[in-house]
Amino acid sequence: MEIVKSALEPLFSLIHAGSVWAFVLATIGAAVAVVLSQNVVRMAFWLIIALGSTAGLFFALDADFLGAAQLLVYVGGTLVLLVFGVMLTASGPFMQMKTSPGEGVLAGFIGFSLLGLLATSVCTVAWDPHGAVAPIAAAGYNPAEEGNTTRALGMSLLGLRPDKDLGQENARPGTGYLLPFEVASVHLLVVLVGAAYLARAKRRQAPPAL
Amino acid sequence: MDLETYQSTLARLLTTAWLLPLCGFVIEIFAGWWSNRRSKAAAYLAVFCIATGFVCSLTALLYWGEKTEWAAFAGHAAGHGEAGAEHAAGAHDGAHANAAHHAAAGAAAHATPAYPLAVSGTHYVLVQFGRLRVAIDYYIDSLTLAMFTMVTLIASLIHVFAIGYMGDELTDDHEDHEVHTSHGHLHRPGRYYRFFAYLSLFSFSMLGLVLAGNVFLVFVFWELVGICSYFLIGFYTERRSACLAANKAFIMNRVGDFGFLIGLMILWTWFGTFQFAERTEDGQTTPGLFQMLRTPEGEILRLNTQSGQRVVLVDSHGDPLLDPTTREPKTVPYLLLVAAGMGIFAGCIGKSAQFPLQTWLPDAMEGPTPVSALVHSATMVAAGVYLTGRFYPMFMPEVLLAIAYVGCITLFLAATIAVVATDIKRVLAYSTISQLGYMMLGLGVGAWGAGLFHLITHAFFKSLMFLCSGAVIYGCHHVQEMPRMGGLRRKMPITAYTMLVGVIAICGLAIPWPTVFGEKIAFSGYHSKDAIVAAALTFAQLNPKHILLFLLPLVGAGITAFYMFRLWFYTFAGTPRDEHVYEHAHEAPAVMWIPLVVLSLFAAFCAVGGEEGPLFKLLLNSEPAGVAAGRESAVPGGISIPGHAAVAANHVAAGVDALIVAGLGAFLAYVFYGVRWLNPAEVKNQFAGLHRFLIEKWRFDELYDVMFTRPVHIIARWCTWIDRTVFDGLLHAAARLALDVARWDRKFDEGVVDGLVNKVGDLTFATGRSFRVIQTGRLRQYVMFIVVGVIVIGVAGILFVTQLRAG
Amino acid sequence: MPAVELDVYLFVAAVLFVCGAVCMATKRNAIGVLMGVELVLNGANLNFVAFARYTALGLDGQVIALFVIVLAAAEAAVALAIALSFYNNHLTIDVDRGNELHG
Repeated sequence: MEIVKSALEPLFSLIHAGSVWAFVLATIGAAVAVVLSQNVVRMAFWLIIALGSTAGLFFALDADFLGAAQLLVYVGGTLVLLVFGVMLTASGPFMQMKTSPGEGVLAGFIGFSLLGLLATSVCTVAWDPHGAVAPIAAAGYNPAEEGNTTRALGMSLLGLRPDKDLGQENARPGTGYLLPFEVASVHLLVVLVGAAYLARAKRRQAPPAL
Repeated sequence: MDLETYQSTLARLLTTAWLLPLCGFVIEIFAGWWSNRRSKAAAYLAVFCIATGFVCSLTALLYWGEKTEWAAFAGHAAGHGEAGAEHAAGAHDGAHANAAHHAAAGAAAHATPAYPLAVSGTHYVLVQFGRLRVAIDYYIDSLTLAMFTMVTLIASLIHVFAIGYMGDELTDDHEDHEVHTSHGHLHRPGRYYRFFAYLSLFSFSMLGLVLAGNVFLVFVFWELVGICSYFLIGFYTERRSACLAANKAFIMNRVGDFGFLIGLMILWTWFGTFQFAERTEDGQTTPGLFQMLRTPEGEILRLNTQSGQRVVLVDSHGDPLLDPTTREPKTVPYLLLVAAGMGIFAGCIGKSAQFPLQTWLPDAMEGPTPVSALVHSATMVAAGVYLTGRFYPMFMPEVLLAIAYVGCITLFLAATIAVVATDIKRVLAYSTISQLGYMMLGLGVGAWGAGLFHLITHAFFKSLMFLCSGAVIYGCHHVQEMPRMGGLRRKMPITAYTMLVGVIAICGLAIPWPTVFGEKIAFSGYHSKDAIVAAALTFAQLNPKHILLFLLPLVGAGITAFYMFRLWFYTFAGTPRDEHVYEHAHEAPAVMWIPLVVLSLFAAFCAVGGEEGPLFKLLLNSEPAGVAAGRESAVPGGISIPGHAAVAANHVAAGVDALIVAGLGAFLAYVFYGVRWLNPAEVKNQFAGLHRFLIEKWRFDELYDVMFTRPVHIIARWCTWIDRTVFDGLLHAAARLALDVARWDRKFDEGVVDGLVNKVGDLTFATGRSFRVIQTGRLRQYVMFIVVGVIVIGVAGILFVTQLRAG
Repeated sequence: MPAVELDVYLFVAAVLFVCGAVCMATKRNAIGVLMGVELVLNGANLNFVAFARYTALGLDGQVIALFVIVLAAAEAAVALAIALSFYNNHLTIDVDRGNELHG
């Protein structure tokens, strides 16, 4: 069994690398398609592709819980919301609001400039690669049989940091995210109420009776 | 403890009598709104309070007599002379027997009483600053009890009288005939309840003054009776004359009270206590004021030092008080004692309307007649005499001489003015001043008992006469001028004959020889005035320089008889002078004449027995030690004070003199006004200058005008001139300068400061206007701007970092 | 060994970001603008997760990304409510019509 596993190792890594590259391409392509398509429903479709493949990238980055959350929240929640918005607001499903070509050209120019700037930074800055690999392994917080990152994320939201506190002498606990978590909860509640208030049906004034 | 029960019973009875009128006052003033203007509720309440007070006072007096086994009345006058030394030992057993100076001289001749004759204590300590202790103390001796009974009795009767007299205030629309406005007479709501509220407050204050156990509290109530007097004189506040009279009374009293305050300061500084009686607290005994000054025998321990004569302070046993730090005897400069005595007597002068502050009392007759009877004859003005009596041990011989002279001058001065006065109340007012002068004279010449004896008897017959005059004024519909009356005895017989009792009493007429039950046939005034004249005669014999102190009172007695009978004949006898007044005159209702009858009984018989009688002995009980023995002047030409024995020897002679003079005066009045053998008008024309001088009250008002009012006016005019020219000029210059500065400032402000601010504002506005173009309001453009901004910042940052690395 | 280097992820994130920005700048439809915002947020998220994997940022990056997802969902809800309100007021979804803030 071990032998088979070691024999297949290069193959697995090849498949892994290939799938990563596929997600990269899908993400870029779908994002560009969102920009280029004029129909809002198509835009929504391409957005699903883009966000979904981003979720794939998250999986590739060992962030399995985040990837799942991305799929659930974005693809399953936010986009449905967007489609609802489209249906509620559009006078027709295929209504188009064209952008003038001049604006498109200008936006493209500016966009490429920004991309150039960002790409320059990506390339020129030394990002300290592999810096985090060793601590993760040492702490041993992220084994696959323990649900990978899920357990660690949950504990950090409860105020513990398994990747930093566990197994360390003289570690100071309490560097987790309990307070932001609570704030975010309240924030969600407020947003819920606020959104309901903003989107409520306006009662129009009755015309004066004759 | 029986002793404590005895003390607290006395204190509670008198305190009840004292505080009841205060309750009455509070209810009448603050609950006045529920009783309407036609309700007599306030009057009944006031009468209830003061009458209950009388019952309490009388009970206290009887209780006191019972407990002390009537010791005060049993003693014989002859025992006084040598009693002083003996009683001092007896008066001090028992923790509360603070009876050192006012203790029973009479009782001491017999067995030591089980109960002290004088009690004192503290109700409540108000404040204590270091040694300064202000407390509600009480001091009860026979003088207090006699004053309480007298004040509450007279006040009760006058309250009852006032129920009828003030009846025309029982209306919502009272017309005041004395006040003329542009629409005729003044109309105002009646003030029945307010009158009785004031009367209650006055009763409270007066009783408090008598009960007070320290001189500070006396001063407090002294001022309270002053303010009550002010309220009551100015009761008809719409009348200008009433307002002026109230002010005059108050201000004149202030002059006297200034002296009082100075006296208080001296006492406090040198004696360190205000108490009358000894006080034991935490085992430490503080002697009372009078105890410190005199030994139990009444002697003053003088000490001649280089810095002048001083007086050694002693404790209640007569041993010198030692200073706690230096262990030397405490002494007081003699001159300061004289000054303190003079100061306190100045307060008495103001309150008792003595010369030279006598002018306010006649003006005070502007108040309603019951007020004149209660406040300005029987009680408040007597407070001055009372205080002089209380402070008797404090007064050095020089002060006593001053008191005697002040009283002497006052009695003569007021009597002469009374002869020419025609307003019935003013005659009585001057007579009051004159009689107060007699009391002061009596005190001044050493007849302590006689002075206070006269105080009590005078209170009865003077309140009687004032109420009679009130009844006359009421019956004649507010006519007060005697020349418009006459023959009224046929219209109002009760008033006339009760008045006659009062007149005979004040004149001191009597039938001395056929005695009834061993008593002379005489009314109260005879006894008390005789005692004073006898003391004055003895004093004049001892000090021949001061013969005037005997002659003036003697002449005054004649004048008194003359003007009092003149008043009676003028008013009640003869034929009516003004038919209109006579026609409408009527007898007063029962509520008014019953008090007259009661008072006339007291005026006639309260002094029965004279100096052997109960009233005099009761008073004598409180006599300060040493008075009975008299005092021989140590140096030739000094002032000698006669003792009781010397006075008693002169009594018959003085009595005969006074009786003859009084009879002459009465006879003269009869000649002038009774049978009219002589025409007063002719005499008046013959002595026109003298008459005018007397009518103008010896020109005292003018004198004070020249002495005080005019100089003040002149100084005020100078001050006005200085104010107008100097200070106003300076002010105007300063104002002009400020105006110029302000004008310059305005130019600077408008030109420079405003200009600068405007420039900045314009600049900002222009900048904003130019930037306004960018604000298109388009969302997408803003996104574009953000992106462009990010690019610019990013590129700049990269360039900068590259530059840094390169540099 | 990871097959793909950090730079690649960063580049993808940059593309997502730029596409989002351009989307916001060009779409006249308010829903489109919202989609642009989502893209931008996703680009940022990708950055965080990538840094979490490759640098000492560690778990913090993932936690922040989690918060961003949560807040983005909230933002979408509010933004859609605003869009509805906008539509109710203007009877269109064209953001160019909403120029009341024009200076």
